[in-house]
Amino acid sequence: MSLLAWLCPRQPLLTPQQQERLQGLANPGQLTEKSLREQRWVVLDLETTGLNLNRDQVLSIGAVVIEDAAIDLGQQFERTLQCSDLKPGPSVLIHGLGPSAIAAGSNPADALLDLLQFIGDSPVLAFHAPFDQRMLTRALKDRLGFRLQHRFFDLAELAPMLCPHATLREAALDDWTAYFGLQAQARHHASADALVTAELALILFSKARRQQIDSPQLLEQRLNQWRRRQQSHSF
Amino acid sequence: MVMSKTDAFAQAGKTAVLQNIQGTMQFLQRFPPFNQMENAHLAYLVEQCQLRFFAEGESIIKPSDGPIEHFYIVKQGQVVGERPHTARRGTETTFEIATGECFPLAALLGERATRTEHLAAEDTFCLQLNKPAFIKLFALSSPFRDFALRGVSSLLDQVNLQVQRRAVETLGTQYSLNTRLGELAMRHPVTCGPQAPLREAVKLMHEQQVGSIVIVDEHKTPLGIFTLRDLRQVVADASADFSDPIGRHMTQSPFALSPDATAFDAAIAMTERHIAHVCLIKERRLCGVVSERDLFSLQRVDLVHLARTIRHASRIESLAALRGEIGQLVERMLAHGASSTQITQIITLLNDHMVCRVIELVLEEKGDPGIPFSWLCFGSEGRREQTLHTDQDNGILFEARDAAHAAEIRSVLLPLAQQINQSLAHCGFTLCKGNIMAGNPELCLSRAEWARRFAAFIREATPENLLGSSIYFDLRVVWGAEQACEQLRRGILDQVADNRLFQRMMAENALRQRPPVGRLRDFVLTRKGNDKAATLDLKVQGLTPFVDGARLLALAHGIEANNTLERLRQLVAKEVIDRLDGAAYEEAYHFIQQTRMQQHQLQTRHNLPYSNRVDPDSLNDLDRRILRESLRQAQRLQSSLTVRYQL
Repeated sequence: MSLLAWLCPRQPLLTPQQQERLQGLANPGQLTEKSLREQRWVVLDLETTGLNLNRDQVLSIGAVVIEDAAIDLGQQFERTLQCSDLKPGPSVLIHGLGPSAIAAGSNPADALLDLLQFIGDSPVLAFHAPFDQRMLTRALKDRLGFRLQHRFFDLAELAPMLCPHATLREAALDDWTAYFGLQAQARHHASADALVTAELALILFSKARRQQIDSPQLLEQRLNQWRRRQQSHSF
Repeated sequence: MVMSKTDAFAQAGKTAVLQNIQGTMQFLQRFPPFNQMENAHLAYLVEQCQLRFFAEGESIIKPSDGPIEHFYIVKQGQVVGERPHTARRGTETTFEIATGECFPLAALLGERATRTEHLAAEDTFCLQLNKPAFIKLFALSSPFRDFALRGVSSLLDQVNLQVQRRAVETLGTQYSLNTRLGELAMRHPVTCGPQAPLREAVKLMHEQQVGSIVIVDEHKTPLGIFTLRDLRQVVADASADFSDPIGRHMTQSPFALSPDATAFDAAIAMTERHIAHVCLIKERRLCGVVSERDLFSLQRVDLVHLARTIRHASRIESLAALRGEIGQLVERMLAHGASSTQITQIITLLNDHMVCRVIELVLEEKGDPGIPFSWLCFGSEGRREQTLHTDQDNGILFEARDAAHAAEIRSVLLPLAQQINQSLAHCGFTLCKGNIMAGNPELCLSRAEWARRFAAFIREATPENLLGSSIYFDLRVVWGAEQACEQLRRGILDQVADNRLFQRMMAENALRQRPPVGRLRDFVLTRKGNDKAATLDLKVQGLTPFVDGARLLALAHGIEANNTLERLRQLVAKEVIDRLDGAAYEEAYHFIQQTRMQQHQLQTRHNLPYSNRVDPDSLNDLDRRILRESLRQAQRLQSSLTVRYQL
């Protein structure tokens, strides 16, 4: 723990139980050459108080698991984080989480520990993943003094890479779900968004396999190539 | 780190029902059997499911996979069953499974491999339930079990139940026309021997408070029946002697049915024969009597009464007034669980009575010319498939020595025919826009003239002639002698059987109307005029393919029946079409007709004009699915014609 203490000068106050759970967490594994089907994935969606990466807070977390190339409805993660000093901002209109729902939420440290346990060593998928990644990184640092090292894949990048014929530009999640005819059960609810994002991921994995991209490692390589090409195009 | 699903984290989230579980349950609750399952069972089902994606063309299960390990529910998209084609190379689509539907029940329950490869017809998501969970649900939930065991047939049952329930709601009665007669004949029949004096018999009827007495022999076999109507006649006849044996006054060989026949059968028999009592016999022994009152005191479907009123109407005006009662009758019949076939049969029967009465009244008014003629009807009336919404399609057939004689008779009959057409129009039979009416000189013909005309249809297959044959070849006599019409029909059958080219042209004609189902989409709809919603035509796109197909095959195989369902049955009996195919066609035809009639009833209730167009989205899920399957059967019938006539 000494290393962690050094990294985080304002060490959050954790109960001994929480400390123990923190230490028991797995490190994220390296990306492997096993097939996309064999890889367990966690699809994540956060609802936050706003889009400011430095100031806004995580309000709720939804996550579903893709295992054996299918979404396992029996493994789902859904938490609203308790947040006593929160003033309802305009974002309440989007996620619909009122002050009462937030006051009734889970202890944030416990909820985040639950999430880390749920994720395990799996790579994470999200739409506009860098946003979720950075929000979560900050929340984990502040609440647990934990450094998030998991690999995040951004479906907003995978989708145009794997569907070059789709003429969507700067497309949002809604654009892609509409493109594939997917229906979210309750949009802007973290779990429902995670589920529809996972459905999108299943479609994209199926396309990846058809393009002979059948491992997380290959996926990452192709993604790097694609990013470079995109950059060179833009100049 | 490998995590087991029973770990603490998995339980931790389950304090409340999770959003996605809830959402998936709500989705499933739009479909049977999930809408009838307990919430706890449904939640269990969803939690045990995996959501899987199949790209278009991807195989989901196939015969070589071995025994089925999963139960699938289509969440989005469409799955098709592909089976190797029986006659040709390649495969044919045997069924389609749409959103909310499940597969493969039979293979799963039979613990065997599927016989049909299931493919994703488009990008598809399926909920996949493992077999142990399926077995557990099968044990826990009786709606789920019933559904799994009965499969698709229960879908049809549910539709029929729905139809009846909806109709009963407007009428509030439980009585069904499908009730066994044995259950209706509550009382022991009152009987006597043929030697019993009339006085004794009437005394017995009076004591027992019944309207009829059946005269039986020593084996209880009915010899005759004596009713209050007969008694009136006896009383009116001054010479009658009440000490005569009853055998002298009874109606001989009374009409009888088995106690297993239905109330509908009895109602039809009474209407056709103008009788008020039906004997029930089992192994030739009398076991009951059902009277008109038994049949109709329980309900308000007063078919016999209506038929009798029509037959005795003294003026065209009173007939016109009775027309509305036929509509009400149809509504009540639907309420009592009558099928579309029963209803079209009854409408045809009542319309026939009405046409006959109109002819009789016109003859009375104008004076009978003393020339025997037969009143023919064509088209749906000829096929006995009339709904409340049908035009006049009629003609006149008479015998003449030669052309000059025929012209002479025609000049006498035409004014009468025109008067009959107008009177029928007055009674609600819309005048035919194409002037296919007896008042048209071209449709008031001698037998020789008709025969020539029909022969020309078959010889020269022009588009007009093909259209003509599809109307006129369903001819039938409504009023007058029937022999001449039978001769015409046999002539048609002989000529069609010999003329392969004509058959081929008819087959092409029968393929003109394609059933509106797409390979990828549910329905192929069109927008008419200013309609808000796109619709399909139940008659032209749904029923016509069956009607045309059945007519062609019937004419080509010497089948005299006119009615589409009867034609299909006889085609099965002659092994022209496969028994299972025949049953599927029949069921599909039936369902489309039923949907069409409900549509008409609804339109009447809302004072809308009759239309055969329906917006599938206005139907409930179940009806929509069955309609799609029914149209798919029409498509199959058409593709069998394509193969048969090498089109």
